[in-house]
Formats: sequence, structure tokens, C-alpha cells
Amino acid sequence: MSIMQFNGSAIVAMVGKDCVAIAADKRLGQRALTVSTDFQKVFPITERTYIGLAGLATDVKTLHDRFRMRVNLYKHREERTIEPKTFAHLVSHMLYERRFGPYFVEPVIAGLDKNNRPFVCNMDLIGCINYTDDFVVAGTADNNLFGMCESLWEPDLGPEELFETISQSLLNAVDRDAMSGWGAVVHIITPDGIIERELKGRMD
Amino acid sequence: MDFMMHSEQQNQLEPTQAPVERHSHNQWNPYVDNGGTSLIIAGKDFVLVASDARQSVGYNINTRYDPKAYELSNKTVLATSVCSADAKRLCEVLEQRAQLYYHKHERQISTQALAQQLSNTLYSRRMFPYYVFPLLGGIDAEGKGAAYSYDAIGNMERVTYKAFGSASALVQPFLDNQIGMKNQRGAEGERMLTREEALRLAIDSFTGAAERDIYTGDWLDIFIIDAAGVHKETRELKHD
Amino acid sequence: MDRYSFSLTTFAPNGKLLQIEHALAAVGNGSTSVGIKAANGVVIATEKKTGSSLIDISSLEHMAMICDSIGMVYSGMGPDFRVLVSSARKMAQAYWKTYMEDPPVRILVKELASIMQEFTQSGGVRPFGVSLLLAGVDERGPNLYQVDPSGSYFPWKAAAIGKNMVNSKTFLEKRYNSDMELEDAVHTSILTLKEGIEGQMTEDSIDIGIISTAPAAQEAGAKPVFKRLTAAEIKDYLSNIA
Repeated sequence: MSIMQFNGSAIVAMVGKDCVAIAADKRLGQRALTVSTDFQKVFPITERTYIGLAGLATDVKTLHDRFRMRVNLYKHREERTIEPKTFAHLVSHMLYERRFGPYFVEPVIAGLDKNNRPFVCNMDLIGCINYTDDFVVAGTADNNLFGMCESLWEPDLGPEELFETISQSLLNAVDRDAMSGWGAVVHIITPDGIIERELKGRMD
Repeated sequence: MDFMMHSEQQNQLEPTQAPVERHSHNQWNPYVDNGGTSLIIAGKDFVLVASDARQSVGYNINTRYDPKAYELSNKTVLATSVCSADAKRLCEVLEQRAQLYYHKHERQISTQALAQQLSNTLYSRRMFPYYVFPLLGGIDAEGKGAAYSYDAIGNMERVTYKAFGSASALVQPFLDNQIGMKNQRGAEGERMLTREEALRLAIDSFTGAAERDIYTGDWLDIFIIDAAGVHKETRELKHD
Repeated sequence: MDRYSFSLTTFAPNGKLLQIEHALAAVGNGSTSVGIKAANGVVIATEKKTGSSLIDISSLEHMAMICDSIGMVYSGMGPDFRVLVSSARKMAQAYWKTYMEDPPVRILVKELASIMQEFTQSGGVRPFGVSLLLAGVDERGPNLYQVDPSGSYFPWKAAAIGKNMVNSKTFLEKRYNSDMELEDAVHTSILTLKEGIEGQMTEDSIDIGIISTAPAAQEAGAKPVFKRLTAAEIKDYLSNIA
């Protein structure tokens, strides 16, 4: 089994009408053994940009710290808030710096830019960016998530519809994946603010 | 030498590994994974069986129309997945045994009996299994839709819905949600679909699967079996 | 030579670093450069001074593009300028590589200024004998900055450096207004240079660079691009000045 599957994770982000959503499960495991059911995988970067990191938990934590440092430096040097797209390029750059000794994470980025346009992308562990206008998935339940999103998602969903869609997609995907699940957290990013909700899921 | 590629070598790449073909030099591998997806949904008085028709090995598509759901009789359909050759052979064997049953008992074999026969057939090859994960659909003695799912060595289960094959990970959670009513507040267990609902879900499932799974696509055979017999239709899926 | 002139890193008792004063003197000997920030863009211009009439003046380049959105001109020592151009371009590329965006002008100016400052404090080096004018457009609009050998930098509405700096500034103070369009600003910059130029002003004896907030290319999503005017374009401007 690959090191990418060691801890287990499921992360999904979706585009809605003037809003985006990002959701992740909360399990932390060591292969089949569940160690924690409250592990954070989605992190706020700015008030309207979030990043989800699927993969090796130690790298998830390390990278989150490094992203926070780089974004704070950016804020102080440039006296402005980093845009989601610019942040995505920063992440990509930092991952490619470790081209031959990579961090074992698959990032998912979701946010609204300064014109309130939705931005969603994901990338592989060495920073190859994939931009989409529908949804992106990552983690051990990626195929399950693709199946759910492909059939449930539709364009121009409002914040509450988007919440329902992303929640159903995530919960049903992780229920068929032994490596992820054990509760979930959903963030809906709207021009008016963030809606954060915790989901209860099957604990098996 | 595509035949020698082990399916796991293609699918389970290390993160830093490029998907290049690796040949095993010292061992011949009798099994091939031809991809493809099959699905079954049981209703009150009908059962729906659906399979895509693409047949591939690795990144090659051998043919765009190789049906892997077979009409065994006027009330049973067998849908298969994974190894096409084994599936065809298994189907022939099952037809032969159904025929023998007919001569012996002077009546057509019941769906339940055929389901058990399939399990026995698979288990008889316990040490050199057919590389096939079958789904059997028919009408039972009470006139209800009957769906059976199996693993390659004959473990049998009667189900209301099931997806097998290369896109099973994409389709099964969707069926759990839409038929099993999983994670739906206030819903009480599995629901019995109408034909129209079942047809729509099957089409939606395969459209989604064909979008993301490279081994699923081209054509979709859908069988609806009820008291009147087997009704078949073929639809188009993505060809890329 | 007194004892405070040799080492750059030694303060004179009056609190000055004499080498920096000398560097500024080198700038003061250099040909004049002016810059004007207009409502819809920025112009920088300089006089191309030569020691001999035999030099092929048309091929002298006193102005450089740093990245699409930023251009730079100098007064002082040409070779020192080229070193700074090379560093500035490298910084702009590094920024692009990280963020896939051109650097904001202020960020580039700060980095450039910090390099120039380093050369006032390190051992075995001398300060750069140039002052720079940077013209650029970013998120905040048009920008004009001056950077000095000491590493100080200033944002300007209109600026002049070099030999005729004092007179040029007085001229600009009279002519400048904040509603000025880029076309006007180009004219004003030429007139400013003309005040102090020795001999005849021709399309070959000055260098002009412009960047507009509304790009000339009409295609959607076109970004502002810094551009050096060709001799023919400069000739057109000169013929409009009676």
C-alpha cells in the first residue's frame, strides 16, 4: 500500500452559484487502525480561501504550517490578501521545490476571488494544478467521491443546495471506504461569510 | 504481451511511479482484467440488469461492443465483469447445466435454483476460479424481482442493488444513497423503485462512470426482466 | 583624501557615509532622466548623451524592460545600471515562478532598493553609481518610483534625476497636474528634457518608455505592457512640439 493511503482521507470541493464548498472527513488512522476521529484536514488560508490536504498526516501538518508562514509573509510584504489563484500557484511552487522528495499530499483549494468569482482546483503531490469549474476530489475515497459528485452535482447551486450536495457526496463516499469517514466538516464560502458545519457520520 | 500484465500492477501505482508497462518475466499469468462495469437493481415485480460494452486491456480498447450481460432464459439475465473470456465460458457452462436440468426435470429451472447452480459452479473451481464477479437477475417463484451477487468463488447474496466492475467504486455509493437511502434523514431502509426510476438511476450511474472511468463506456445494454419476459435496450455512452 | 573616504563602512564624524555622497555626485554627472505618472499610465524618458559624434547613437539603450508591467531608466553609470537590470529581471522572474503574476511595482522597488542598500554596508564593494526611475502598472494603478544609491526609494507623481535634476523638477512642478493623460505626459517629459539638453534634440538623442493602464491591444484580458517608443514614434511627438 502506498504511503498516500497510510492515514486515510477524503476531501471534496465544489463550485456553486457565487459560492464554493469544501468538505473533508475527520479520520486519522495508521493503515486499518483508527487513531483519531477529530483530525483537521481543511484549513483557512484567508477569510475566503481554504485548503484541504489529503494524504500523509505528518506532511499535512507540516505543509499547513509552511503555508501559514508564507501567506503571513505575503500579507506583510504586499499589504494585501492573497487571492485563491495566487495561493494555488504558491502551493504548486512549494510542492515542486520537492520534486524528487515530495510531500505526500494532494491539495484541494477552494475560495472566492476579489470579484466573488468561485475558484476551485486540486493538484498532485508535486504541484501539477488542475483547474475545474465543477468539483475536485482527493484522498483514499477519490473514486467513490467521483461517482457521487458526477451524479449529484449540477451547475449554479445556491449555498444551501451546495451544502446538501457536498455533504451527501462525502458521507456516501466515505461509507464505502474503510480508510476515511468517522465524521466530517463542511465549509461553504459565500460573499457574506463562511458557513461551517460538522456532520455526524457512521463510526465504523 | 499485454496479456501478461497483472491488473494490480496497473492500478496500484506508487505516487512517484509513472504508469509504464511492466512485464513479469518469470511467471505467466492466466488472468486478464478486461474492465467494464455491471449493475443490478431489483424492483417489486421486475429486475433491471445493465452492463457497458467496452472491452479493454491496459490502455487499449479491444472492442467497443462486447456485451457482458447474457440472456440465459426468458426470465434470467447474467451480468459479468473483469475477465471476458472466463465470463463467456461461465455463461456457456451455466446454459448447459440449465439445459440438463430441463431434460432431467422436464421444466425450466427456477431463478432461485439457477442462482444456487451458479454458486456451485463457481465454487467447483475454488482452486482455479473463473475471474468473474457475476450478477444474476430474474423473477422468483413469488413473481418478485430477484437479484443475486457473487464473488469469484461462489459466495452468494440476494440483494436489491449492486454494482461490480471497474467503476463499482463510483457507482455503489450512489446506489447506497439513492436506493439504500443511506445518510438520508427520516428514510426507512431500502426503497423499491419503479421501472422508470430504476432506468433513470442506471443511466445516471453509467453516465457518471463513463465520465471518469476509462474502462467503462461506448455502449450500455439494459435488460428489464418481468413476468412477461426480458426487454432489452441499448444506449450510447461516451466513446472517449 | 581624508581617512573617512576609503572605507565605505566607516561613518564620517559628521554622520555621513562619504562614498554614498560620491555616488550621488556620479548620478549628478549623469544625463537627465524624467518620469511622469499620468492618470492612465506612466512615462519615463532620458537623454542619450554621447562623448563623440562618431557613436551610433540609435543603438544605445538607456532604458530597460524588467517584466511586462515594469520598465526602468537611470542616471549615472551605464555599467552599474546593467547589473541592476539583470538583478531586477531575475527577481521579477522569481516572483512569476512563485505566484504566476508580475510583481507589484512596490515589491520590485523594495527588493531592488535592498540590494542597493547591501552595497552600502558590505565589505569590499562600492555603492552603485546610479539613481533609478521605475515605471509600472499593477493592481493599484500606475506607479513611478525613484531609487537612490543609498537604497532609499520614493514614490513620485513626477520626478527628475541626473545632471539637470533641479531645473527639471521646477519645470515639472509648474507643468504637472493629476488629471494629465499619458499623451500629455509624454509631451511634458519631452519638454522637460528639452529645457536642459545640450544641442539639438532628435528622435535618436532621447529614449522614451511608456506603460498604459488601458492596454493598446484591444483583445479582452490584455495586460499592461511596458514599451520603448521607436525612433519613428518619437519623431512624431517631436514634430508636434513646435
